[in-house]
Amino acid sequence: MIELKNVTVRYPNGVVGLDGVDLEIPDGQFVVVVGLSGAGKSTLIRTINGLVPVTSGTLTVDGMDVSGASKRELRAIRSKIGMIFQSFNLVKRTSVMNNVIMGQLHDIPGWRALIGAWTKEEKEKGYQALERVGIVEKTWTRASELSGGQQQRVAIARALAQDPSVMLADEPVASLDPPTAQMVMKDLQRINRELGITTLVNLHFLDLARAYGDRIIGMRGGKVVFDGTGAEADDAVFEKIYGRSLTADDTLSSNA
Amino acid sequence: MTAEPLTAPAPDAGVPERPQKPAPSALLIVGLLAAAAFTWWAAREIEFTLADLFTNFSNGWVVIEQFLQPNWSFIWRVWEAWVETISISIVATCVGVAFGLLFAFMGSRVTNRSGWLYRATKIFLSVIRSLPDIAYVLIFVALVGIGALAGILALIIFNIGIAAKLTAETIDAVDRGPLEAADASGAGTAARSRWAVMPQILPNYLSYCLYIFELNIRSSVVIGIAGGGGIGQVLNVQFSRFEYENVAAITVAIFVVVLLIDQLSQYLRRRFV
Repeated sequence: MIELKNVTVRYPNGVVGLDGVDLEIPDGQFVVVVGLSGAGKSTLIRTINGLVPVTSGTLTVDGMDVSGASKRELRAIRSKIGMIFQSFNLVKRTSVMNNVIMGQLHDIPGWRALIGAWTKEEKEKGYQALERVGIVEKTWTRASELSGGQQQRVAIARALAQDPSVMLADEPVASLDPPTAQMVMKDLQRINRELGITTLVNLHFLDLARAYGDRIIGMRGGKVVFDGTGAEADDAVFEKIYGRSLTADDTLSSNA
Repeated sequence: MTAEPLTAPAPDAGVPERPQKPAPSALLIVGLLAAAAFTWWAAREIEFTLADLFTNFSNGWVVIEQFLQPNWSFIWRVWEAWVETISISIVATCVGVAFGLLFAFMGSRVTNRSGWLYRATKIFLSVIRSLPDIAYVLIFVALVGIGALAGILALIIFNIGIAAKLTAETIDAVDRGPLEAADASGAGTAARSRWAVMPQILPNYLSYCLYIFELNIRSSVVIGIAGGGGIGQVLNVQFSRFEYENVAAITVAIFVVVLLIDQLSQYLRRRFV
């Protein structure tokens, strides 16, 4: 379970990313976070795995305190939280397998990590993660040779190889074309259903949010302004979250 | 309040007023004049004159005559010195770039998250780079005596400085995305450097290694003259014996060797990047 109690994040330049946020996310839930850019969606996701430090309040993931963790504790917490990114963040100049094994680096001893001597088990875990997203045949291809959708699936496999209990996704489909975006969202949903991994996804397309979210959290100005099911989140709710009337740009299907 | 018209009324002459080109900066003019004056003063201080070039030229004819008849067979007679020069360069490059890589990772904020260690590395590297290769040869000749060892040690230190500087700057410019991903998965500092940074800088790094090998071959003359072994030392000995036919042959051979290695290394470097 992820628990935020009165969490505030203030960046060094004075910008407030989160403003007294209280949230409880039970295990296995598929949560979509929506809001305009600058609303605090990315900050929320990055605060949960400690990439952005909490200024005040408490944040726990599966009972582990993220807000007050030492560097070592933070690494242990992060090893249980998978993350995928808008720009995939793969190392393009190396194989898909090496990229997927990056998800396991936290418990590979230093000397083996340095020379890249992966064990059979580590590679097997890599194969299994790639099988789950359906691109195991690309295992030994260079990451740079894959299409955007394939790269994002490798990134998902990299996160899966961590055996995470939580999956964070920061605008995972914003750089993809609509059909590929749907496929990646389906992958994330299937993984959430099959493995029971708690999933938090930032999205800015309303139709995707409604279609995939068990729960939708709307953010505006660093505050949670809506928290409910996809069915409850009608256009009026989104207009409140966005602070303006909706346009065609707000849905994926009309961008196709 | 009355609204001002958006377009200015046309001036009487019919030609609209254009923005004035700013006058040249007075500071620039003063600076250029000062530089010219300083150059003139410096030349006067060392009594710079080209007269010697003409008055002493006749003495040089004997030398030039010998130079124009190179003793080609001498090149092969000092075969071992050539091998020594190439060996010095290879060993010094391999050891130098290996340590250079380590210091590069320590000398970039991207891969070194410890503030004091980063600053210490930066200072250490600028101290190393503050001396030219010949100074290191002189130091090591004093420490270990004349010969290839002094040359190798001197070039290693010199190479660490260059390799670390060039590579650290490349590390500063890598795509931070993979680093963020490595951090998010809880990877340690060494592992994230190896897998999120190393693959990105590898082509550039290999190119720097070849460039440093080129530099080392080129500085073999200076290394040898200062007592660091190799073909430069042969050149020095032949000079002091006034054997200008031998000197000429070696000089031409050095030209050819440096040119060949430059071409080879440039060809390889193009293939890496």
